[in-house]
Amino acid sequence: MVEELDRIEIKQRFPSWKDWLKPITEKDFKPGIYSYLALPKQVDSDFFRTPYGNVERDIHDKDWKLPENWKEIVINEMKDTLEKNRAFKLFLDICVRCGACADKCHYYLGTGDPKNMPVMRAELIRSVYRYYFTKAGKLFGKWAGARPLDENVIKEWYYYLYQCSLCRRCALFCPYGIDTAEIVWWARRILSKIGINQRFMCISIEASARTGNHLGLLPGGMAGALEMACDEIKEITGIDVHTYINKKGADILFVPPSGDYFATPHWFTLLGYIMLFYELEERYGLIITWSTYAGEGGNFGTFHSYEAAQLLNSKIYKEAERLGVKWILGGECGHMWRDKHQYINTMNNPPKHPEWEDPVNPITGTRFKHVTAEHGWVHILEFTADLIAHNKIKIDPSRNDHWKATYHDPCNLARAVGIIEEPRFILRNVCNYFYDMPEHTIREKTYCCGAGGVYLGDEMMELRIRGCMPRMMALRHVVRKYGVNLLVTPCAIDRAQFPHMIEYWKIPAEVAGVHELVGNALVMTGEKEREVDLRGNPLKGEE
Amino acid sequence: MIEYFFGVVLPYAAFVIFLIGTIYRIVSWARCAVPLKIPVTAGQQASLPFLRRTIYDRIDNPSSKLGVVVRMFFEVFLMRSLFRNIRFYYEKFEIVDTRWLWFFAMAFHYSLLIILIRHLRFFTNPIPDFVKLVDWIDGVMKFWVPPIYITGVLALASLAFLWGRRIFLAKERSASLPSDHFVLLLFAIILISGTLMRYIVKIDLTNVKALALGLVTFNIPSYEVLHGIHWLFYVHLTAVCVLVAYIPFSKLMHFAGIFFSVTRNMPNDNRMRRHINPWDPNPEKPILVREGLVVHMDYNKYYEMYKDQLDEIAEKGYKVGGEG
Repeated sequence: MVEELDRIEIKQRFPSWKDWLKPITEKDFKPGIYSYLALPKQVDSDFFRTPYGNVERDIHDKDWKLPENWKEIVINEMKDTLEKNRAFKLFLDICVRCGACADKCHYYLGTGDPKNMPVMRAELIRSVYRYYFTKAGKLFGKWAGARPLDENVIKEWYYYLYQCSLCRRCALFCPYGIDTAEIVWWARRILSKIGINQRFMCISIEASARTGNHLGLLPGGMAGALEMACDEIKEITGIDVHTYINKKGADILFVPPSGDYFATPHWFTLLGYIMLFYELEERYGLIITWSTYAGEGGNFGTFHSYEAAQLLNSKIYKEAERLGVKWILGGECGHMWRDKHQYINTMNNPPKHPEWEDPVNPITGTRFKHVTAEHGWVHILEFTADLIAHNKIKIDPSRNDHWKATYHDPCNLARAVGIIEEPRFILRNVCNYFYDMPEHTIREKTYCCGAGGVYLGDEMMELRIRGCMPRMMALRHVVRKYGVNLLVTPCAIDRAQFPHMIEYWKIPAEVAGVHELVGNALVMTGEKEREVDLRGNPLKGEE
Repeated sequence: MIEYFFGVVLPYAAFVIFLIGTIYRIVSWARCAVPLKIPVTAGQQASLPFLRRTIYDRIDNPSSKLGVVVRMFFEVFLMRSLFRNIRFYYEKFEIVDTRWLWFFAMAFHYSLLIILIRHLRFFTNPIPDFVKLVDWIDGVMKFWVPPIYITGVLALASLAFLWGRRIFLAKERSASLPSDHFVLLLFAIILISGTLMRYIVKIDLTNVKALALGLVTFNIPSYEVLHGIHWLFYVHLTAVCVLVAYIPFSKLMHFAGIFFSVTRNMPNDNRMRRHINPWDPNPEKPILVREGLVVHMDYNKYYEMYKDQLDEIAEKGYKVGGEG
C-alpha cells in the first residue's frame, strides 16, 4: 500500500448543510481509509463479547446484518448515554459551530474531507440527537439540522467515528472545551451495542482479555522475550543482567505497553527498562517485577467503550494486590496514560493490601506528591527524571552523540496528564543534542501520529499516512534545520507508526523511546567499555 | 390593540419562556452523571519540584479546585482557549497564530454586555450612577450629536465579521446550519434597528421609558403611551423577544453550558483523589463480568489456563536471565 501511494492529493470539496445531512453509503467508502468490521471470533468470544457480535459482517456489503430492532436499540442507548454522561449531552447541546476546531484535526488536514472536521464529526451524531431528543429537531426536521436514523447513517457513523484517534487536539482549542473524542468514544459504544465494532481494536481487546496482553503472548512467550532481552544486554554491556517476573513481595510492579515485548523499535526501549531496573537492584536493592497476568498497560478498550476499558484495566490492581507491591510503575505509552491517569481508579477499586502506600521513590526519598494510594501509579518518565535529578544513576550523555534527537509529545501524555517537561528533562540529561519541533506542533498542541486510536492495521494505511502528514512536516523541518536524525517518543503506538511514515515521507531519521537513550547513556556497575549502542550501531568515536 | 400584544404580552411571554427553559436546561445537565474525571490538560502537570511550571501551566493545568476557578475565569471572561487559535495553510504547510476570531468574539460579547448595561437606563428611575458612567465612557466620541457609542460600532463590525466568515469561508459555511444564520439575523435586526433609532429615526424616548418601567414594575402603561412609540421600536423589541425566547432551545445556551464543561471545570488531580462513578460506585468486578457476558479472568482462572508455563516461571524463582 505504501508503495502504491507515491503521491497523495488533498482535495477539498465543501458540501452545503443540506448535502452533508444526506448520509454517505458503503459505496463512498474509500479503500485505505476505512477499517474492517470485527469478526465473531473477536467480539463473540468467552473473553470479550458484545451484543450481536456473533454475525460475520463485511464492510463492503450493502446489508450489514443489523439486528431487527436496531433503531430502537440505538435510540435507547443514546438516551441511556445522555443520562450516564454529562459530557455527551452537554457537548451535543452547546456547540456553536464556530469552526475553531476545524483545521486542528490531523485527519482533516491530511484528508481534506470536511466531515473530518471535529465539528462535523460531532454533527453526524448531533443531527440524529436533534431529531429524536430536541423540540426544534422534531418540529423543523432538516431545517433544524436534524435527520432520522437509517442504515446509511450507521454506516456513515462507522466510517467517520473510526477516522478519529481520540487525541483531543480539538478539545484544546474549543472555546467551550467540547471534547469530540468523548462524543466519538461514547458513540462507538452505542455502535457496539448493535454489533458494529472495528476489527483491529477488537483483536487486541480479545487477546488482552484472554492472555493479559494485546499481542496474545502466553506467559512463557513473555518470559522468553525478556530472557532474550537479557542476553542481548549481556552482549552489549558484558553484564549478566536479570529481571523478575510475577515475583511476590517485589517493591514495585512494572506495567509497560505490550508492544515493547518484541516489536521494533520498541525492543530497544525494553532493553533500556531492564538495564535501568538491574542497575537499581545492584546499587540500591530495589526489586521491580513484571507480570504476565497484567502485562499490558496500553488498553485498547479505552478506544471501544467504558466497559471494555474496565474489563482490561481491572486486572492490574488485582495483580498488584496479589504480588503485594507498594505501588505501580507505568511504562512509556500514550493512550495507556489516559487510561491509567484518568480512568483506572474510577473504573476499579484501588488495592487495599497492607504494603500498598502513597508512592515514594525508595532511592531518592521523593514522595510523589501528585499521586496517592487512592491511585498508586507513577510514570517511568517521572521516576527516571527524579533519579537523574538526584544523581542516583550515572549517566554518560556522550554515548548518544551519534543521535540528534527531537521529541514527539504523545497526545494523551500532553493533554490528559500534562507530562511535558519530564521527558525533556531526561533527554537534555542523557543526550547532548536535543532540538524541539516547531512550537505549534509540540507540548499540549502536539499532533497525533495518525495511528492513535486503533489505526495500526494495513487496510487503513492511507488514512495513517494522511493523518501523519502534519507531524512528518514538523519533523522534516527540524531534520533540515538542525540535522535531527532521531524521533524520540514515549508511546508504543507512535513507535509502531512512525517507522512506516518516515519511510513513506522519505525523512532520514529513526524512531526510539526515551528509555532507549537512557539505556545507552546509563553507566552500569561493572560494565565493559561500550562500543555499540542498543541497536548495535557503533558509538561516535568507535566507528 | 396590536400594540398591547407586541409591547406587553410578547415581552412577558418571552421572558417566562427564557426563565423556565433555561432553568430546565441547566437542571437537565446537572442531573446527568459524570462517570469520569476528564480534564483536558494544556500545560505541564504539577509533579516533581525541580521541573519548571510557568504561570500558563498553572492556569491551564490546575491541580486544585482553586486552580479550576482561575482556569474557568480565564475561559469565561477572556476566552482563553480561543486565544490559542492557530490556522493551517496548505499552500505553504504553515501554521500561523490567528487571533482575529478571538478578537471579534471578545468584541461582540463585551459590546453586547455594555449595550445591555446601557439599556438599564430605560428600566430604572433614577438612573444609577454606574449606568451613567458607562454611558458617558462609551459615548466618548462626542464629535457627533448624539455622541457615537464605541460599543455600537464594535458590535456591528464584529457581527459583520462573524456572519461574513460563515458566508465567505468554505469550512465555516459548510458547518453552518440555518439556525446559526437565524441567530445572527436576529442580532442584525436588533443592532441595526437600535442604531437607526438612536442616530436617524427620532423616537419618543419618554414613552419608551414609560413602557420599560411599566413592564418591570408590573404597571401596564396606557394605550396612549404604547401607541405613541415608533413602529421601528416594535421591530427592535420583537426581535429581542424572539431571541430571548429562542435561547433555551438553541446553541445560545452555551452561556450556561460552559460552566458545566467537564474538560475545563475539573482539576487534574486524578492521581491524588479518586473520582467515583455514580452509576458504578463499587466496581469489584468489571461490568461485563457482572452482566455475565464474559468469563471472569481472575488470577485463578488465568493460572488454570496457563498452569504449565506459570509453574515454569515459578521454578526459576520468578527470575529471568542471569544464569548463563
